[in-house]
Amino acid sequence: MSKTKTSKTVHLTIDGQNVEAPKGAMILDVTPGLGVEIPSLCAHPGLEPFGACRLCVVEIQKPGWDDWYKQLVTSCLFQVEEGLKVWTNSDEVRQNRKVVLDLLMARVPASDVIRDLGNQYGVTKTSYAEVDTEDTCIMCDICVRACHAIGRDAIASMSRGPDKYVDVPDKDACIGCLVCANLCPTNAIPFTANDNGKRRIWGKEFDLVTDERSGEVLGTTEYIEHVRKRAEDKGLLCPEDMKHESARVKRYGYAQKLSHVADVEEPIEEVK
Amino acid sequence: MTSSNGKPFGSVKNLLKRAEKILKERKKLKQEIRVCAGPGCIALGAKDIHKELCKQLDDHKKELEAAGLELNVTLSEKCTGCHGMCEAGPIVTIEPEGTFYTGVKPRDTKKIVEKTLLKDQLVDPLLYQLGHHRGGGKVKHYADIPFYSLQLRVALRKVGVVDPTNFDDFLAEGGFQAFAKAIAEMTPEDVIDQVEKSGLRGRGGAGFSTGRKWRSALRVKEDRVWLICNGDEGDPGAFMDRAIMEGDPYSVLEGMMIGAYALGATDAWIYVRHEYPLAVEHLQMAIDKLTNAGLLGENILGTGMTLNVRISRGGGAFVCGESSALMRSLEGKVGEPRAKYVRSVEKGLHDEPTVLNNVETFTCVPAIIDKGAEWFASMGREKSKGTKAFSLVGKVKHTGLIEVPMGRTLREIIFDIGGGIIDDRPFKAVQTGGPSGGCLPAGKLNLQVDFDTLADAGAMMGSGGMIVMDDHTCMVDVAKYFINFLIGESCGKCVPCREGLYQLYDLLNKITNGEGKPGDLETIETLCHTMEVASLCALGKSAPYPVTSTIKYFREEYEEHINDGVCRAGVCPKLIVYHINDDCNGCEVCRKHCPTNAITGEKKKLHVIDPDLCISCGICKSVCKFDTIDIMSGGKIVSRDVVA
Amino acid sequence: MSKRLYVTPYRCIDCKVCEQACSLAKTPVPGIPAKPRVQTFKVDDQTNFVLLCLQCDEASCQKVCPTDALVRNPETGAIEVNDRCIGCGFCVQACPFGCMDYDDIHNEYIKCDVCKGDPACAKYCPTGALVWDEKAWTDQEAKERTEKKSTDPFSIALEMAKK
Repeated sequence: MSKTKTSKTVHLTIDGQNVEAPKGAMILDVTPGLGVEIPSLCAHPGLEPFGACRLCVVEIQKPGWDDWYKQLVTSCLFQVEEGLKVWTNSDEVRQNRKVVLDLLMARVPASDVIRDLGNQYGVTKTSYAEVDTEDTCIMCDICVRACHAIGRDAIASMSRGPDKYVDVPDKDACIGCLVCANLCPTNAIPFTANDNGKRRIWGKEFDLVTDERSGEVLGTTEYIEHVRKRAEDKGLLCPEDMKHESARVKRYGYAQKLSHVADVEEPIEEVK
Repeated sequence: MTSSNGKPFGSVKNLLKRAEKILKERKKLKQEIRVCAGPGCIALGAKDIHKELCKQLDDHKKELEAAGLELNVTLSEKCTGCHGMCEAGPIVTIEPEGTFYTGVKPRDTKKIVEKTLLKDQLVDPLLYQLGHHRGGGKVKHYADIPFYSLQLRVALRKVGVVDPTNFDDFLAEGGFQAFAKAIAEMTPEDVIDQVEKSGLRGRGGAGFSTGRKWRSALRVKEDRVWLICNGDEGDPGAFMDRAIMEGDPYSVLEGMMIGAYALGATDAWIYVRHEYPLAVEHLQMAIDKLTNAGLLGENILGTGMTLNVRISRGGGAFVCGESSALMRSLEGKVGEPRAKYVRSVEKGLHDEPTVLNNVETFTCVPAIIDKGAEWFASMGREKSKGTKAFSLVGKVKHTGLIEVPMGRTLREIIFDIGGGIIDDRPFKAVQTGGPSGGCLPAGKLNLQVDFDTLADAGAMMGSGGMIVMDDHTCMVDVAKYFINFLIGESCGKCVPCREGLYQLYDLLNKITNGEGKPGDLETIETLCHTMEVASLCALGKSAPYPVTSTIKYFREEYEEHINDGVCRAGVCPKLIVYHINDDCNGCEVCRKHCPTNAITGEKKKLHVIDPDLCISCGICKSVCKFDTIDIMSGGKIVSRDVVA
Repeated sequence: MSKRLYVTPYRCIDCKVCEQACSLAKTPVPGIPAKPRVQTFKVDDQTNFVLLCLQCDEASCQKVCPTDALVRNPETGAIEVNDRCIGCGFCVQACPFGCMDYDDIHNEYIKCDVCKGDPACAKYCPTGALVWDEKAWTDQEAKERTEKKSTDPFSIALEMAKK
């Protein structure tokens, strides 16, 4: 047992701490709990690593390298290795994060998130030409990747270079799930969650489905349909009859069934 | 196209027999007349020349036949790939004498046929004229022209020699001998050994050892390994790969076939830039012919080897020349680089082991197999073996395509082969390695060019573009130009490259507009450092090189722009003033041409430019026959030559 | 045999202690209690019921999750939501028992993870309706515990006090 364990884990040092990590993990994945703070805007554990924001840079040194030689890598994309040495807060690291934040502050002057982060690294005012915009999108691609993950691919990044922007080219593909807006690190996606039974995002309006019994909002019609289809594809039982009820109502119904009480109809109000 | 009886070659023996037969037939031909059909020459009418030449030859044949005589010369005529000396096109050469005609026009063909072909006389006005510094005079044979005599062609060995659309012609020039040798006499291991021993390094820019790349792909190979030929040459002013793909597609394919044999690859892609339709046409033609001839497809030459080559046309994105972006593009995804901590030989196209090499690299392989690793390794320098093709462009007399052994100095390349600077102006800088390469000053002219010396000097080999600049070039403006190019080509994925280039351009633009502030240079340097170390792909990492190298070698020019508002080259429009000096004789030409009516003055009287109306377009200067218009910057005349 | 969370519905007196304990144990921000993962119901006069995640073998929530954010902890056998969650809410829709839920106060998707092996609900349950134990019950015992209707709270409390 112990033998297989050693082959699947590697040992490295992060800021002087000895760390044991599973093989194949990225440096950023193994830092939580070490008291080491690596800022990051485009990384999300559930999404494929992307490496766009370059904030999570760290310095590394592989065993066998000359003592003076270190390399700057993005921790979200660099796999841990046996004997690797990592510095997460060296001068070089801080300097590069500072320039990146400086650049981002010039790009999205309206973003509080970026400004606060910049202040942490000593950037109070950008040294570059500020772009005159209220937009706070930093092209981290999280929305694009999340939309891809849930199986819609509605969002795409368009154009290239500094003109790059994020949009929904095919409005029909959007199901109004709000995942993109909720994940956005700089809150750059405007939306109205519930305005009299309507939801608005990406310039599209959705009808909301409400649980009749509890009055809880379940999501948009398109969203419910998408989940039903997905459940069907995944081979779940009876997706056709999948009850679109709020969790509470479902729980109550189940409780009723399990408690062998057939003739109870009224106490449902209690659920609310 | 196929073996003599029209069937595919069933074995290596058949192929060699066929080659021998063609060679025997060729020996009967007395002369061969070659018309350059490189892009430059085609633009200047090479196709018409070829058509006219065929007609002339036919007419003569008929005439002689009518008179009861036979044409006493047998000859062939063909369109070949680029000859290299593009500025002297269209070029016609006659073999085996090596007669070299430049600037040929369709009407000259009659003279060429009547005099040179039939009477062995030269057409004097078409001969190449040596420069004054070499004593003038005409040169009969191209081997005597310094532009050619100093070159050593390996990758370009058949470009300008063979007809790219004719398979027999390629066989006659020794084509597929290397492949036949590899497949019949060598094991895959031998092939890799030879390539590794030859010291061949990737010609695409990074210069990674090709043999080592192949070996490591073989090591991780499970069931499939992809072979990709990168023909997405996007650097401004670079056209080596284009010339090879257009002029010698069979050699590229032969190199890929040898690579496929060594790696056991069954599927290969050639990724060709969208702007190269002729390259795609010729490559596709070659692939079709090879498939018919049994050299591609299944059971190649009866050996059981399988190789399918497909062509993919790039969408015109510079970043797709970056290998990981190229692979994503081939997968049908957005052409953005992906994280490169996993090497593509391990996980490349479709997450399978992939070997990606440049066109020039693949073209070198048959030569190595044919002549041996030792022969290749005998050329060049210790760590950079062999030769390298460069496209020499800019303010140099002989722009064109050249190939020299590694280790030639910049001076030899620019002044001996390139013939020096146009109008014999002073040399200022040479930009190597494409848009993200660096600018090297006159002090570096003795640099022996190879992968490592260029990198040490702050430039890079890149794919081999060389842009020569004279003293009328503003280095800040040059840096700005390249940054602007890169802005348009950056994929926009990572922050340092996307935002960094945008801000870099903004800063440089301010400097060239005279709005630079003290401290700007430091800001630029900090920014460049972060872009270099923190960008995601090679494009972003090397994007600041044009700026860092010009700051390194021409810092005082930046400082002049910022502190004194002076552009010593007289280029930056906001920093210069056009001024008519006292020599003006009032011919009124400039006044009539000025688009903003900024010039006033009566006939035969001194004209004056109103600086408020002048937009510094420079038209007046270009139309003035008496050279009376000066460019002033910071109160000094900058347009006159400082060097006597 | 590893420990399990045993539910004995007839012992539930709908006192909501488990809900409170859960709420406090799972609070991510001190002072703002979380939405409880466990819930008790008064189904009718005689019947109370306590319901929490069944940790299904082939869990629907796990199957529909696009980012594999629901992973079974091999030590406790419970399915846990990890940081890979992107908040799409598919699991809530897919769970037929309503045991996946969304905590709109703390903005997270929640389910019972048996407190990583130390369930607060069982710890504070006054009547033994929720038990964290590794004992194997006899068939008779198990039948009794699931089928018997809940009796009046006082007799159960008395029974507990005697033990």
